[in-house]
Amino acid sequence: MGHRGTRGVAFVAHCLLNQNSKVGDGAHCAGVYSPIVDVLRDKGWRIEQMPCPELAFTGLNRFWAVREQLDTPAYRQHCRRLATAVAGMIAVRAERGEDIVLIGVEGSPSMGVHITSSDPARGGRPEWPDGTAELTSGEGIFIEELRRELGRRGIVPGLGGETHALPDHDELAQQTRLESLLDSRTGEAQ
Amino acid sequence: MKPDDRSFRIALVADRYVNPPPGALDALAVLAEAGWGAMQLPADDYPADIAALVLAEVTEQAGEFSRHGYDFVLIGERDGLTDALAAAGLAVPDQITPSDAAELLGFLRARPAPAVSTWSWLDDADSAATTDRG
Repeated sequence: MGHRGTRGVAFVAHCLLNQNSKVGDGAHCAGVYSPIVDVLRDKGWRIEQMPCPELAFTGLNRFWAVREQLDTPAYRQHCRRLATAVAGMIAVRAERGEDIVLIGVEGSPSMGVHITSSDPARGGRPEWPDGTAELTSGEGIFIEELRRELGRRGIVPGLGGETHALPDHDELAQQTRLESLLDSRTGEAQ
Repeated sequence: MKPDDRSFRIALVADRYVNPPPGALDALAVLAEAGWGAMQLPADDYPADIAALVLAEVTEQAGEFSRHGYDFVLIGERDGLTDALAAAGLAVPDQITPSDAAELLGFLRARPAPAVSTWSWLDDADSAATTDRG
């Protein structure tokens, strides 16, 4: 990894720098998830780590969950509090003319950017069959609240999602998508 | 099912080691090599009110890890961190201000094993949950 200088600022999901925050059975590596960091370093983007909304609300021993299980007024309020802090940081960068991208986690009920997880019927004893089709188009709750707060401030970030939890995850494709997003923000040709 | 690969080891990292100037120590590279997670501290150029909010969130989350026996260290320093940690009921963890990658790597590798290194239920291969990528 090598840092070349700042093209913009990438606000990344907490777990991309700290896999210890993942729900149990969800950590894909020991700590820093390098594939995303390497692309950001190579493209010269500053890194800012967002908080993990689920960790602070439901703790390390939380169950895996879908959007409907987390979408309560209390969780929304928690996400709005975090989003206000993150949006404050983003606003400082945006006022300095720095470009902003958000890098979430596809499939997450909180941090999904293009894909979240949904199952209106899920609840009760946490046992369900493998392969249940909970993945669906849409944003996670925190990303939704953060974009709402940024919209209120007139800030439109670029949006990207890390995909290692999706069944069709392809690291090279993920890298290409992220590079393409960053290049599109800086006008750099592939 | 793929095992959970977490290390139970986390470093609070000053921003200058997360976003180093060219040629300076890149702590994320060292942490990745050593198998540690990172919790970034706010850069010094944020206004005090915003930095205080961020520090409060970071230390609240650090408290959750700490309650579960995860190991913590501090790389560099950040004004207001000591007070924010105290407000979360935490002491300042062992600290290093490394001059190069070798010094940081040696420091991390010399740490004793964390109080927790596995979750018994994570060893349960029968776990069939499929959702929450959060």
